[in-house]
Parts: sequence; C-alpha cells; structure tokens
Amino acid sequence: MLLYATLTLLAVVFIVPFLWVVSTSLKGNEQIFAVPPRWIPETFHFENYATIFERMPFLLYLRNSLFVTGLSIIGIVGSSSLVAYAFACLRWPGRDTFFLIILATMMLPMQVTMIPVFVLFKELGWLNTFKPLVVPAFFGGGAFNIFLLRQFFLGIPRDLADAARIDGCSEFRIYWNIMLPLAKPALATVAILTFMFSWNDFLGPLIYLSDKMKGTLALGLSMFVGQYATEWALLMAASVLMMIPMILLFFFFQRYFIQGFTMSGIKG
Amino acid sequence: MNPHDPPYRFWTGRRKEGLLGYTFASPWLLGFIVFGLYPMVMSLYYSMSRYDVLRIPEFIGVRNFSTLLFDDPYFWNAVWNTLFYTLLRTPLAIAGSLFIAVLVNNAVRGVRWFRTVYFLPSIVGGVVLSVLWLWIFNPEYGLLNAFLNLVGIKGPLWLQSPEWSKPSLVLMSLWSIGGGRMIVFLAALQNVPPELYEVVDLDGGGWWRKFYHVTLPMISPVLFLWFIIEVIFGFQVFTEAYVMTKGGPLNSTMFYNLYLYYKAFDDFDMGYASALAWLLLLLSLVITLAQFKIGRFWVYYESERK
Amino acid sequence: MPSRSVLLVAFAAVAVVVFFVLTAPTRTLLADGKLHLRYWTITGAKDVVPYYAGSFNRMQDSIIVETTPIPWQEHEKKILTAVLSGDPPDVINQVTPVAKWASRMALVALDDYIARDHFDTTAFFPSLWGEMKWQGHVFALPVSSGSYALFYNKRLFREAGLDPERPPRTWDEVSAFNDKLARRDGTGRIIQMGFIPNYGNLMTSILMAWELGAQFLSEDGKTVHLDNPAAVKGLEWTVKFYEAYPQKDIAAFMAGFGFADQHGFISGKVAMMVLDSSFPDQIRLYRPSLDYGIALIPTFEGSPTASASGSWWLAIPRGAKNPEAAWQFMKHAVSTPTQLKEVAMTEESLFPASRFAAHDPAFKNSPEREIFVAQMEYSHSPSVVPMAHDVFWREFLGAQERAIFKQQSPEQALQQGERTLQRMLDESLAYDSYVRSRMTFPGVK
Repeated sequence: MLLYATLTLLAVVFIVPFLWVVSTSLKGNEQIFAVPPRWIPETFHFENYATIFERMPFLLYLRNSLFVTGLSIIGIVGSSSLVAYAFACLRWPGRDTFFLIILATMMLPMQVTMIPVFVLFKELGWLNTFKPLVVPAFFGGGAFNIFLLRQFFLGIPRDLADAARIDGCSEFRIYWNIMLPLAKPALATVAILTFMFSWNDFLGPLIYLSDKMKGTLALGLSMFVGQYATEWALLMAASVLMMIPMILLFFFFQRYFIQGFTMSGIKG
Repeated sequence: MNPHDPPYRFWTGRRKEGLLGYTFASPWLLGFIVFGLYPMVMSLYYSMSRYDVLRIPEFIGVRNFSTLLFDDPYFWNAVWNTLFYTLLRTPLAIAGSLFIAVLVNNAVRGVRWFRTVYFLPSIVGGVVLSVLWLWIFNPEYGLLNAFLNLVGIKGPLWLQSPEWSKPSLVLMSLWSIGGGRMIVFLAALQNVPPELYEVVDLDGGGWWRKFYHVTLPMISPVLFLWFIIEVIFGFQVFTEAYVMTKGGPLNSTMFYNLYLYYKAFDDFDMGYASALAWLLLLLSLVITLAQFKIGRFWVYYESERK
Repeated sequence: MPSRSVLLVAFAAVAVVVFFVLTAPTRTLLADGKLHLRYWTITGAKDVVPYYAGSFNRMQDSIIVETTPIPWQEHEKKILTAVLSGDPPDVINQVTPVAKWASRMALVALDDYIARDHFDTTAFFPSLWGEMKWQGHVFALPVSSGSYALFYNKRLFREAGLDPERPPRTWDEVSAFNDKLARRDGTGRIIQMGFIPNYGNLMTSILMAWELGAQFLSEDGKTVHLDNPAAVKGLEWTVKFYEAYPQKDIAAFMAGFGFADQHGFISGKVAMMVLDSSFPDQIRLYRPSLDYGIALIPTFEGSPTASASGSWWLAIPRGAKNPEAAWQFMKHAVSTPTQLKEVAMTEESLFPASRFAAHDPAFKNSPEREIFVAQMEYSHSPSVVPMAHDVFWREFLGAQERAIFKQQSPEQALQQGERTLQRMLDESLAYDSYVRSRMTFPGVK
C-alpha cells in the first residue's frame, strides 16, 4: 500500500511538466505565454498537429529517422557486446591499456573532435549520406556502451562459461548462447539508450546531410526555432509526436525487465 | 587483473586466447584507428596551435596551456562552476535513480506504466526541456514559486540569481532520474539472484540487511560504472547552460564545456578550445584512475575466484 | 498454421517494408540545361522563399536559384562545415558580423565584380556598407536591415502628468520621466516602469557610448579601449539608474513579461522603450488600441543620437563553383527596386539596407518610417572590433553585469574586460599575420 502511494506521488511529480508540454501543443499561439499560465487551453487547437504535416515532410523524416536509428541500434548492440565480451571475459595483451583508451575517448568533449571527424568523413566521400550517422555504430558502438556491457558481463558468474569451455565450446558460442541471453536486460538498456540518443541527434544530421530529402525528425523539429520567434505550439506538438515511438519502444522492452530469474541452472 | 580471466589451461594456448581477444575487440579497434585516432591526434596538435578552423594552424607549443592556467579569469571560474555542479549532482542523481529503480523493481500490477511515466522526462527533447524549465523556474509565474507560495515561502529568482543558478540546474537534472540511469540500475537489480535474498530472510534479516549485504555488492560493478560516468559527463555539462542561461548571471553557470564551446564556435579559437579539451581529459583521467584504485575496496565482481 | 509469434513478425516485416516504400522520396530529374544556383537562407519562424529569389528566377532564363532554408539553431556550424567540405552552396545568407567569416578567408572578395559592373556602393547606409568590408576588400552585400527608435506610451504619459506629445530628448529627461512613471504596489513590488535600461535588443549603455563618441578600437586596429571615458559614462548612468531601482526588483518585474501581447511595452507595463522597426506591425497585430508615439533615440546634451545597424547579407562562400552567376543573383537581390518590393511583399517587417530604397516615398510613407529612416542615418555597426567580435561583446556585457551587481566600479569592470579583449586581439593579430604570409583571400589576386 505504501508502495503504491509512493509510486503514485512520484508519478505526479514526474508527469506534471510533461502535461504542460502536451497542453501547450494544443494552444493557439496567443495563449502560450498568457500570464498567469493556463493549464487547460481555452480552445483546443488540434489542428496544430495537422499543421506539422504541412510544414515539414513528417512521414519522410520519420522514415529516415527510423532507418538511421534502427541501424544504429543493431550495430551498437551487436558490436558493443562483442567488444565488451573481449574486455570482460578474455585475456589478451594490451587489454587494460586499451580499456583506458576507451574511457579516455569519452573524456574529450566532442566540440574539438567534431571538425577533424567531419574532415575525415569528407575524405571518405561520405558527406551528404547517412553513412557518418550509421557506420560508426558497427565499430564498437561507443565507449559508454562497451563500458556498460563490460560491467554487466563481469557481474555474471563464470561457472557456466567455464563448464562450456571444458566441454569444448568455442568462445563465440559461449558469447552467443550463454552471455548474451544472460545479459538481456543490459542489452535492452543499451538499445533504449541508443534509441534516445540517435532519435534526438540534431547536430549529426545537420552537418552531414545537405539534401532536404534526407532530413530526420530532429532536424525537422529545429526548423520551428527561429532567431527571435519560435513557433512554440508547433514545436511542442512535434516533440510530442517524436516522443511517441520512444515511449512505445520503452514500453515494449519492458518484457526484458521482468524479475524472473535469468541465471537458473548455475547452482547445483 | 580481471576476475573473469579463464584459466588458460582450459584453452589451447595463451596465444590463441590473445588472438581471440583481438578478434572480438576488432570492431572497436578498427573503429578507433579509423574514426578515433585521427581526430584525437589532430585535436592534440590544435591544442598546441593557433587555429580558427577555416585557415591553417600555427604551432605555438604550450602557449595555450600557460595562458589558460595563468592568464585567464574565465578558466578557474569555469573549473569551480563545473566541480560544484558535478559534486552536487552526482550523489543526488545516483541515489535518486537507485531509489526509483528499487521502487519499480517490484512486479506489482501496473508497474510498467509507472516505469514509463518516470522515463518520460528523460526523452523530452533539449529545446523543449529548456523552455519547459525556464517556465517552471520563472520567479513570477513559474510552477516552483507558485508551489512555494502555497506553503508561505517566497522563492528565489532561480536561474536569474547568481547564487541559485547552479542548484537550479541540478534540480532540473533530477527530474530525469527515472531515465537511462534508472534503467541501467534496474537491469542490474534484475540480475541479483533471489536465492541470496532468501538466505537473508532465513537468517531473520530485514530490508536494510538485504539492501546493504546483498543488493549493493551485487550491483556494485554498475554503481562503480555510474560514478565514473557521472563525473565524466558532469564535467561536460553544456546544453542547459547553453540554451537557458548562456553562462550567466555573472558567469555563475559558465561551465567548462560551455566556455570551451564559446571559444571554439563563437570566437573560432579552436586551438585554445582544444587546449581546454585536453586539460579536461587529463583531469577526468586522473579522477577516473583514482576511482579505479578506490574501487578495489568496494566493488565486488561475482565472477571473482574465491 | 505457423505460430502466432511468427505471424506477428512476418506482419511487422511486411508493414515496415510497405512503410518504407510508401514514404520514399520522389526524385525529380532536372535535365534542363540551366545553371542551378544553391542558395542557403536562414529560416525565420516561417519557411518563406524570399521575394528576390523568386523574382530573379522569373526575370531571366539561364539561372535557377534553389532556396534551401537552414535552421537558425547552429546555422553557423552548418555553414562552417559546408565551407570545409569544399562544396559549399553558391550563395549564403547570414547576419552581422561579416568580418567573422571574411577575416578568416571564408568568403570570396567581390571587388572585381563591383569594378567591372560599376556597382553603386553608395546605395547603402554607410554604417552597413562599412561592415561589408575587411582589409580594403568587399566581401558581402547587405540585403536587409533594421532600424530602431524610442517608443513611448502616450496614455501612460498622460496619467503621469507628462505631455503626451513631448517625448524625452535626453537621457536625463528619460530618468526624470521614469521617476514620474514608475509605480509600485502596496507590497513594494514594481508594477509599472517608465524605462528599463538594456531591456530589448539594443543595449542602452552601448548607445550612450556611441553618442559620446567612444573610440573602442584604435585607427590601426591594434589596440582596444574598452574603458574609454564615453563607455564609462554610459555605464555610470546605467549603474546609477539601478541604484534607485534595484536590479532584483526589476528582474522580478520583468519575469512577468512575455512575447506578443505580453511584451513589456505592448502590454503597457513599460512606458518608454527602444524598439526595432518591426514593432509598429507587432503593435498593430497584438494591441492596435495602444496609444503610442515614436521619436529619435534620446542622447546627451550636445551629442548626436545613435542607433545600431546590423544587417542580413549575402556572400559567396570560398570554394563555391559558380561565382559569376552568384554575383548576378546577389546584385539583383540588393538592388533598390528589389528591396522596395521585398519590403512591401513580406509580412516580416523588413527594413531595406539600401539607402535609396529607405528614402524612397514608396517605403518612407508614414511619420513612423520617417523617424526610422532618420535614425538609421546615425547608426553604428555592432561589429565594433571585427577581429574579436564575440569577445568584445562578451567583455562589454560582462563588465556591465559586474558593474550593475556592484562587484566593481564601471571603470574597473571595463578595465578588466579590456585586458582580456586586448589579449585576444593580440593573439588574433599574431595569428593573422602568420596566415597572411601563407594564404590569400579568395577572389583576390
């Protein structure tokens, strides 16, 4: 009972600002900065949502965003788990030095590597394509994800893997058939985090995509923000729409977060 | 060094394991050599040059670094601001997310919905989030001061006050404690075998015993990760200050990374900005290494050989 | 019968494929033998193709201008990376300052085109045109600008016992009028002000400095004087103002302001304010009943008035492939007749960069516009220290903040800012001379 009370209280705290976002998305422009602020719009401007489809090629951008984000998730989950396995479960010369380097790559702010990276992609001929946004995901998928999965792998008892090794299993089979299933919640987490990052990424598409046809949702959203005047209602409405896939994905991935035990078969 | 090292006599030779290690790690290795090394080396070179991105760099040795440390009033101010913010936020954020994770780690009815509501704040996009909180922090009509008024407290100017600006930003970041961090903790909690809790039950222990003697050690690898991450990312705080306060008032929210950004892309002083970046890397590295040393005392890896 | 989950997956896969096929972009092949000019403009709140782009396409047959709006957010990064990519757009539209890009050799010099086509450079306001030049070369053409004036609320004047047809002419009068107009409520909160320094887009303190003849940069461009007497005096006036009306109270008062009809002046909360030339339209839109007047910006006894003149300009980025066609387009866009039409057609309250257009009766057709145009003649470019533009403003505004918050006296605050600014300028100059011996401006032999 106490649990439910706490859960509900917290839910109220967390949802109230979000409700304001939704409420603003339904207001007419004159009302948005009405002072004192109103919670329920005077008139419901549902057409704000329709206007978005006129003002930007929403479906096209949705498609592009899904493409980029979907590929990123596949690439990141796959490659970061492989690499994390190497750091957590295998011994090889230079491993700890390389791990430190991985950490170090997270410590250099991207503002100063952004330009050399851009020049690199230019030399590769990848400008105005989706490649800069997608290909790096298949090469390790980012230091953070590797670190995260490494910690999870390290927390898994080794008896099962050792038994498999005695039986003559290849490392890859161990990785694929034992470690990955045991780390499902962690993998789901990486997928969600990747989705969040890639879906909202605005700078990457901005500098790498010049073709209007190649825009993503995050890029489309930025068009509503002007120098002095921002179209708040439309911005909020578009943001709400953009959040829906993430909410759906999160809700769907909840199945990996059931408190069922994932490591049966180890003891005894 | 790592507790997960398989005893090599189970395999056909150390060399083969070494090779396997490289094979598994090859995606990252290749990626680093192609996409990672070049930018890092270049930024190191720029840090020792004058460079405005649109023209050629001029090598000047360590002059940028000496200016930074001895001749730049903004630098130490930025360091202070960033340390303050990180030290204030890290324990609150980790404790908060852990608390929520423990709370939603119960298979009660509707927990999916609660988890989703808690997750919502973290997916609100940058600009919208900033506008939202600008409104919440508004001294005249914002939600916060309206609420405080109800209980008879006159709220401060929040973001417009040099004293309250940083705490305001920390408060704002706490709204998303149900986000990614919480999910990671939740996943870690999921991996704790219930048998261990049963043992405590049999012993007659209560929830605190369970938490302190079972939960914490079992999730310590992930907690450890997060202390390191919070520091690294906390040092790079940027977006909120960039959109909402622009470093003010009175430079109270001029964070290290924000100053770096202004130098890089407003002043086009990429050499100086790179020097700032490498100093930050150095600082982060030192702190992280220290955390690894300390971690030996409190992080427990299940796969440790007894 | 396959299992349910297999069916579900199959259905999802089909749905995904159908979605991707249905939303595929349609490519229109343009094999028309015409030259396609890529033009990047910054989106305003509305995604509108400028009149001059359309009219250029209509009036000739060999060049088609394709306008692409880029988002205001991070637009500089987009242009920066476009130049670095070696394949930038043919023409870009950007906002003050020009020197930020020109001094870094990112723009193509237009001198040869100007000479060859006998382009009339006197068509523009001198302060605008001055900004287009760097080191003796011209790098951009101004396409639109904005002017400012003092707006005052006649009704509030009447209520305070002031003559509604007599706006303040000096800053002392502004201060005196404000004392009559400022009101607090029972709890001491401010509910009305006569004037708030630095509220709005134009800093009162910089106006004052300009009016008093501040020389921020030496003639040779090597030394900065942030704490010159004029700037100090302007700052002292501001600090004195805030002594009588504490910053905290004003900040709390201003927290209740918003946009549109919640704007401080439009909502009748502030009686006098320096506003830009879009405001008559804004007032007409949001509060047509507002009884207001416009006057030249106040100044000090014996000094001329001052205003700021930023501009939107067009330029050819370094590495663009079709400079000649780009030049033709730019010439058309900034020509006087085009500017007149542009101003008339758009709903965005533009102010022409062309002086001829501004004085043309087709534009200068109301007493308000008369004042805006007159004020424009006294405008100064915000590009005060071209080589360290952002640093200048950061230091100037920082010094002002410190002085207002009483951390330092105006003199000390400006001195501290000057040290940083001078150091930055020295660095920039040293670097510049290094590069100039190795690189040349695009378009300059």
